[in-house]
Amino acid sequence: MELTPSVLDLDWSDVKTKIRRFIKDYVKASGAEGIVSGLSGGLDSSTTAALSALAIGGDKVLGLLLPEQETYNVEDIEHVKLVAEKFRFKTEIVDITPTLKAFYNSISIFEPTDKICKGNIKARTRIIYIYYYANRRNLLVCGSSDKSETMMGYFTKWGDVAADISPVMDLYKTQVRKLAQHIGIPKEIVTKPASPALWPGQLAEEELGIKYETLDLILYGLEHFMKTGEIAQQLGIEEELVDKIKRRWLFMEHKRRMPLTTKIQYRTVGADFRLPHVLY
Amino acid sequence: MREKFKVALAQISCKQGDKAENIRKIEDLVIKAKQQSAELVIFPELSLTGYTVRDQIYELAETIPGPSTSVLEKLARKTGTYIVFGMPELSEKTQATIYNAAVLIGPDGLVGKYRKMYLPTHSVFEEKRYFRPGYQTAVFETELGKTGLIICYDIFFPEVSRLTRLKGAQLIVCISASPAVRRTFFETLTTARAMENTTFLAYVNLVGIEDGLQFWGGSRLIGPNGKVLVKAKYDEEDLVIGEVNYADIRPVETFVPTLKDLRPELFDKLKENAEKL
Repeated sequence: MELTPSVLDLDWSDVKTKIRRFIKDYVKASGAEGIVSGLSGGLDSSTTAALSALAIGGDKVLGLLLPEQETYNVEDIEHVKLVAEKFRFKTEIVDITPTLKAFYNSISIFEPTDKICKGNIKARTRIIYIYYYANRRNLLVCGSSDKSETMMGYFTKWGDVAADISPVMDLYKTQVRKLAQHIGIPKEIVTKPASPALWPGQLAEEELGIKYETLDLILYGLEHFMKTGEIAQQLGIEEELVDKIKRRWLFMEHKRRMPLTTKIQYRTVGADFRLPHVLY
Repeated sequence: MREKFKVALAQISCKQGDKAENIRKIEDLVIKAKQQSAELVIFPELSLTGYTVRDQIYELAETIPGPSTSVLEKLARKTGTYIVFGMPELSEKTQATIYNAAVLIGPDGLVGKYRKMYLPTHSVFEEKRYFRPGYQTAVFETELGKTGLIICYDIFFPEVSRLTRLKGAQLIVCISASPAVRRTFFETLTTARAMENTTFLAYVNLVGIEDGLQFWGGSRLIGPNGKVLVKAKYDEEDLVIGEVNYADIRPVETFVPTLKDLRPELFDKLKENAEKL
């Protein structure tokens, strides 16, 4: 297999149709009255909310903006508004700063310089709000994690990844970008550098230590059972980097699964209870 | 025996685990197909239960004959049609040994069944976990000629269709639950199996979404020259009717004589080498 950027090309019209159908079908089957998504103004959440609106109608889609003082960025809010206007879905804004402060103040071991632990509080607080709206209004939570982040474990466990459905989780970041272009997400959002916005100035590519264009090809190679040496050779990069990505992908499996238990009884949740995802 | 008859490809989505609802849908479509003069109505693989039922299969499987086949036997009798559908078959001799079966029912009752030989257990498929494979091909003599049954992944293995044809099938019915990523394989292989065996081939696929898997439909009736005689929509429920005319086999078999030119000694070599793979 030749690992060139073209391997990531898909029939975007077909992908759009499949995702729309998936969302529509699942919302109907669940009996929910619509969808709620957390919106950051970034690529993934904008694309997911737009696809949701295309699938079930914007009047049934609520985008929740959950800004907080430290990472507040007026441009992000403007970007959410742009997408919401274009795809005609509803938005609500809730400042989560007071809640975060209450958390920080009430945790006896809280350490403000530990960016990751603090950032995780932000991601998990947001999902509390999102699920509250979902529960109160009988909505499904639609997540926006992409395949690159999910394979890398680049998310907060039980935080931003928490959702009832994640329609773009089988698309790498660069593929979400192409899909976004296809469905008409404004250019400034499509080209904006990805950031989980858990602390000021946080950038995904800097933190991951690799450009998404390269990362996605490495992950594609791993997905297709290619050996790390072969991937490195084809992409003209050090095998050590590919090994590092592979180890991270494997190490992060714990973030993608039900919690591990030890088998004691006949059938075990997460192990050999194999049941269909039936909502009917 | 009828030389010429109409066959309905009933491309449905199923309600996972809900046999009563799926039987209702089968009944509706058999009646609709009959109104359009179809004499054979074909439903997808595991259409009684839905494809993705995982451990629930142990509760859903039934013997053949059994409660569901007897409901559909009444329907076939009432409408005077032949019906092919798929279901998990519980072995009569055991309590939890299950086959992935295709059932042929006619106006006079149960005609026969086929147990899927090739059970995909890779990618999203986990059939070997649940099913015992069948060991026999199945060809049945009916008013509509000799009809063979195969199921989905069997079509990847030309020997199944070939054996079915060698046992006399002039129409091979392939019921399927194929997700969208496999569409190219099936579009190619269904035509190939019809052409290489100079036979009619009716392929009926599932549609709908089960556990995130989107089934692509695209059911079709293919003639012995590989021509797609009728084709259902992609991705949506559909009912299409095509005509089988066995007289069309002769001219193809004459000038594309793949059966005449068969070399039986190669089958021994095939066996020998397959064992060494």
